[in-house]
Amino acid sequence: MIGILKSMATTMKHALDGETFTVEYPDEAPEVSPRFRGVHKFSQERCIWCRQCENVCPNDTIQIVTDKQRNGEQYNLHVGQCIYCRLCEEVCPVDAILLTENFEFTGDTKHDLVFNKEQLKNVPWYNDLDPLASREPDRGSWVGEGEGEVDYQ
Amino acid sequence: MATPTPLPDTIQRNIGVDGFGGELLSMFLAAFLIGNIMLAMTGVAGPWAKRKITAAFTDRIAVNRVGPFGLLIIVADAVRLLSKELIVPEGADRPAFDLAPIVLAGSAMLAFAVIPMGNGIQLADPETGLVFVFAIASIASLGLLMGGYASNNKYSLMGGLRAVAQNIAYEIPLVVTAASVVLFTGSLQLSEIVAIQQNTTLANVAGIRIPAWFAFVNPFAFVLFVVANLAEVGRNPFDTPEAPTEIVGGYQTEYSSVYFVLFYLGEFLHIFLGGAIIATLFLGGPAGPFLPGFVWFVIKIWAVFLFTQWCRSAVPRVRIDQLIEIGWKGMLVLSFANLVLTAAILGVTGL
Amino acid sequence: MSTYDEPETQLPTTEDGDVDEDAIADLLGDHVLDRETHGNAEAYVVRADAVQDVLSTLKDDAGFDHLSCVSAQEYDDRFESIYHLKQYEDPTNEVSVVVPTPRDEPVSETAEPVFRTADWHEREAYDLVGVQYDGHPNLERILLPDTWQGHPLGKDYNKDKPQIVTFEENKNPLEDHARGGEDSDTMFLNIGPHHPATHGVLHVETVLDGEQVADVNPDIGYLHRCEEQMAEKGTYRYQIMPYPDRWDYGPGGIINEWAYARTAEDLADIDVPEYAQVIRTMSAEMCRIACHLLATGTFCLDIYGDFTAIFMYAMRDREIVQNLLEDLTGQRMMFNYLRLGGVVWDIPEPREEYFEKCRDFLDDLPEKLDEYHDLISENEILQSRTVDTGHLDPEIAKNYGATGPVARGSGIDYDLRRDDPYGYYDELDWDVITEDGCDNYARLLVRMREIEESARIIEQCVDLLEDWPEDDREIQSNVPRTLKPDEGAETYRAVEGAKGELGIYIRSDGTEKPARFKIRSPAFSNLSALQEMSTGEYVPDLVATLGSLDVILGEVDR
Repeated sequence: MIGILKSMATTMKHALDGETFTVEYPDEAPEVSPRFRGVHKFSQERCIWCRQCENVCPNDTIQIVTDKQRNGEQYNLHVGQCIYCRLCEEVCPVDAILLTENFEFTGDTKHDLVFNKEQLKNVPWYNDLDPLASREPDRGSWVGEGEGEVDYQ
Repeated sequence: MATPTPLPDTIQRNIGVDGFGGELLSMFLAAFLIGNIMLAMTGVAGPWAKRKITAAFTDRIAVNRVGPFGLLIIVADAVRLLSKELIVPEGADRPAFDLAPIVLAGSAMLAFAVIPMGNGIQLADPETGLVFVFAIASIASLGLLMGGYASNNKYSLMGGLRAVAQNIAYEIPLVVTAASVVLFTGSLQLSEIVAIQQNTTLANVAGIRIPAWFAFVNPFAFVLFVVANLAEVGRNPFDTPEAPTEIVGGYQTEYSSVYFVLFYLGEFLHIFLGGAIIATLFLGGPAGPFLPGFVWFVIKIWAVFLFTQWCRSAVPRVRIDQLIEIGWKGMLVLSFANLVLTAAILGVTGL
Repeated sequence: MSTYDEPETQLPTTEDGDVDEDAIADLLGDHVLDRETHGNAEAYVVRADAVQDVLSTLKDDAGFDHLSCVSAQEYDDRFESIYHLKQYEDPTNEVSVVVPTPRDEPVSETAEPVFRTADWHEREAYDLVGVQYDGHPNLERILLPDTWQGHPLGKDYNKDKPQIVTFEENKNPLEDHARGGEDSDTMFLNIGPHHPATHGVLHVETVLDGEQVADVNPDIGYLHRCEEQMAEKGTYRYQIMPYPDRWDYGPGGIINEWAYARTAEDLADIDVPEYAQVIRTMSAEMCRIACHLLATGTFCLDIYGDFTAIFMYAMRDREIVQNLLEDLTGQRMMFNYLRLGGVVWDIPEPREEYFEKCRDFLDDLPEKLDEYHDLISENEILQSRTVDTGHLDPEIAKNYGATGPVARGSGIDYDLRRDDPYGYYDELDWDVITEDGCDNYARLLVRMREIEESARIIEQCVDLLEDWPEDDREIQSNVPRTLKPDEGAETYRAVEGAKGELGIYIRSDGTEKPARFKIRSPAFSNLSALQEMSTGEYVPDLVATLGSLDVILGEVDR
């Protein structure tokens, strides 16, 4: 009986202190860590069309079309299929593709979530956070030499 | 204090129509009034309040978007629920399936007829009012069984059977405990019970008269009754007939749209009816200082409602076999002990 | 240590306490056709018709009482089933039994009479690879639908052929499973796949006698996402790592990643810098706290019903852990934080702020746990619901390969963090929690007390990281960009996941992608013991027992 009363006292204490831990989401923008990985932003000006991101993508989310001279024509990325592993950003030698902290995207059908390069360019920054600033330190590890046979693909 | 005139008579006097027609009209008007008050409280404010109360216990915010304090969510919910498709499962036993929600909601509504709500709001005041309330309220378990059996679903069947087993096990302690109040008041008439509780003085503390509300006279019976009532209305720790995590939704698994609304309404009505019975038998009904009687009555009902929600947030559900055991081996024995003791004490002291 | 009597066996060990490989070969005698050396243990190739003999010899005479995993695979010339055996006493004592079968007739003897856990593991091997087990009591598909054609991990499988299921077959897949018949007194009830208390899409076929459970059979596979096959399609270095997060999304992501990292690092002989090990240890324990909070919350949800406060309180505290993990890894559940040879990022700058946040959380935790105890474990009704329900004897638990809090709730002192140390655990001061209750209440207590132990570990890690010299903060060792482990190398390594022993078996064929990637999911083995635990109980106890097992269906079905 004492245990039951204790339980009831605990919940009543929470009811009376008036604290809430949920937030009113659309009105109150949630705090997002600087490292958070959200929708991609792509810069055609920077891209050198090396296709490393396409190669490293674990589930073929990125599709790149180039012409015969290997000039880039299309850069498509399915933000609904993406698993947000950030390997494309990690592999990109020129920071042409970044993952912003923006986590909000909608579409009526899944096809609406296939972003082409223009859409990717227009993805807004989230709260003016620059993702690179918080993620720079690992860049060196990607081009590590290793002791074994080096293969730059 | 004289028993107040029942509401239909008051209305008839005021509208001034004589004869059978007038009587019928005033009866209808009175029933309409009380029905609407109760529906507004249960169907409209109940679900909203439940959300807010549960949210307070669980540190959340709950509805606050639609209208002030989210009150208009009730309208949105009503439209949403009523516009949903009514799905009747294949092989459902039609008349019973359709009747069950009406029986459940109707039984609770009917019982409100004899409850004195203060300020002369009482539809009828029969001499056997208490018996009437319990008789009508227990029809609800028939509704639950009908719904569970007719749904052609195994979960519903289990829920219906659990509901019946539980209601039988807890109805008896409930009635026996109520009988101890009757011993004290010497009347089954509800207005009389209220009047006697209010007019007898238990003690005077610092010049304030404490009335002999039965909850003060016999707290033990009060606790027994509140616990049995929790089981009667099927709320934690006794919500086994529904038990969403075990048997999905129990008897109401297959109900949708309007039927679901009726079921939901019926359950809320039953909680409020339970509150009304507790208020009448133990808390002096509509009596209270300063505020009008009806307001006190509503406050008392809501206090009981709050208590059920409080239990929901903190007390685990008991298993069905434990529930039956508590009912037959614990509550029943205790309630009879309470009855015998009350009778003995009353006999000795000659109150 | 354990409370029951250990069977008196002569362990064939050398003076250092390691397995004496030759003594085992002598013990098995003629059954051994050949010997191989796997990364984790010596492997004995045995005849397909002597599996039970070999396994029962190893179990009874050499003390290998834990059948950790059964990995089946197809080579160009043969099928192979590998039985990974361990000892509950000392899991570093391992031995593998390899059973080759010819491709045209892949039949080998079942191990089910020796180890009950082989029942499900062999069904999975049959389902995905196509090895058949002679004498198996119920050799049906387990993860894929009954109507599936072919075995997807086999070499002959045609991936492009659509699976056609006729309407007749698809009409009511549950009909045939209805046991009991028309005249019996029992009622067949499908609990799930869509049910409020199955923690995902689990289907429990239940036979009820009144309210009592006469028989129960968990039917899994509704969340099968070909995780093993996806891993076989990814490169070791990067592409596999994001997927382990999706097994136990409790979120035990970092522990899962660690299971893969440990196996792959073992396979390719990669060293991990000490600093990275500390970060790994810290983040893994954060994941464990998050998982245990979720388990506690949902377990109580099963017992209390909806609208209970404890679930939201557990979620609230889990939220804090997730925020810490988000700051560290960049995601709340799907971390992709570990890399082979280290972790991807150092502690976020400013470091002091992050450590401050961690300490705030750790300081508040004891008070919150006290509140939990007030709310749940001291509540008499909860005790009456959970004590002596879902009883699991230690012997039965071992037979079913139960690990993690389920095993420790039955008094089995088995924790890979201590017994098979990895990361930085052996340098830290913490205890393995066991309870002797063997029931749902014991498992609840184990989880709640393990939260305290994890908090202790995190605290020590934070201390270490704070004082770590600035010029020695190496987060990744030098690992070649394209990793090609030696051809034919194979190993099985496990870490202590939030649910128990999470093991990975990898065989390399010399390319940059694994030839066989097998996941030993702890929840898979734990769930197989459900029948043993809940037969004869009431339906509410079945639900509570399921909750106390803490299954994450993403991990069970993979």
